[in-house]
Amino acid sequence: MSNWEEETKTFLVISCKQAARLVSISIERKLTFREALTMSIHLWMCKTCNLYRRQIQKLRKILIRHEDVLNNTPSSDSECLDLKARQRMKDMLSGRK
Amino acid sequence: MSGEKGIAGNNFVSDPSTWVDRYGDYLFRYSLMRLRNRELAENAVQETFLAALTARRSFSGRSTERTWMVGILKHKVIDHYRKTFREKSISEIQTDEEQTVDSFYDAAGNPGKFPKDWMPDPQALLHSKEFWDTFRECLSKLPERTAAAFSMRELDDLDTPEICKELGINPTNLWVILHRARLQLRECLERNWFEKKGSHE
Repeated sequence: MSNWEEETKTFLVISCKQAARLVSISIERKLTFREALTMSIHLWMCKTCNLYRRQIQKLRKILIRHEDVLNNTPSSDSECLDLKARQRMKDMLSGRK
Repeated sequence: MSGEKGIAGNNFVSDPSTWVDRYGDYLFRYSLMRLRNRELAENAVQETFLAALTARRSFSGRSTERTWMVGILKHKVIDHYRKTFREKSISEIQTDEEQTVDSFYDAAGNPGKFPKDWMPDPQALLHSKEFWDTFRECLSKLPERTAAAFSMRELDDLDTPEICKELGINPTNLWVILHRARLQLRECLERNWFEKKGSHE
């Protein structure tokens, strides 16, 4: 491999580990030109990382709606205050100790 | 908290003795999601009611009563996160997180396990109680401070400056923590939900 090719490769090729890191960082801030370029190239070539990114994005979409959902989904007992806690708080709020 | 102006004898607030039945479960679900422990979640709700009771005259009625209480509860939860973060120094956090991230890859940076297609589509799972139970369980397997940062980011949609301010860390710390949380949660959900339930539906 020529020197030039070698350098281009070092510049453009990143591992899955680095790609996953960039996927996460791209959610938090704008990537630099080089970061964005190397991530795009990697995701274009790598099915695994592409899937990883889609799942992370899906998860975000679901979680952002959790309040809505918990609001409208009837809750199971595991998600309710238990009787003892209820009574304790009721007593507190009605001025009984 | 909304409405700092004290208005003597305002009648925006309903009878406190009805609060537990009206808001108790909602507030509990809210705090259980973030604190992942029944006892902690219960305490946060109780403290919220107590704070609301003390401050009820200052409630302006600009928002609904429940929104007002959720606002109080939010602060209680963040107070808890802060205490959790104080336990360990930032450099320790950074090292821990990086080691965990490393454990997902081999020396060449290839993933140890490859993600699988998620079936059914998670959009369809939004209203599944079991999915949320699994999610909470997975969240509770993360170290507390990782879960705290992740909750603030993904459940409360706070941005980097806000979270960093609350937790006293810098953006680089936070991004490593969030990256680790995403890696671990994705893997845990795949293992406990998509591989088990998905294939049967």
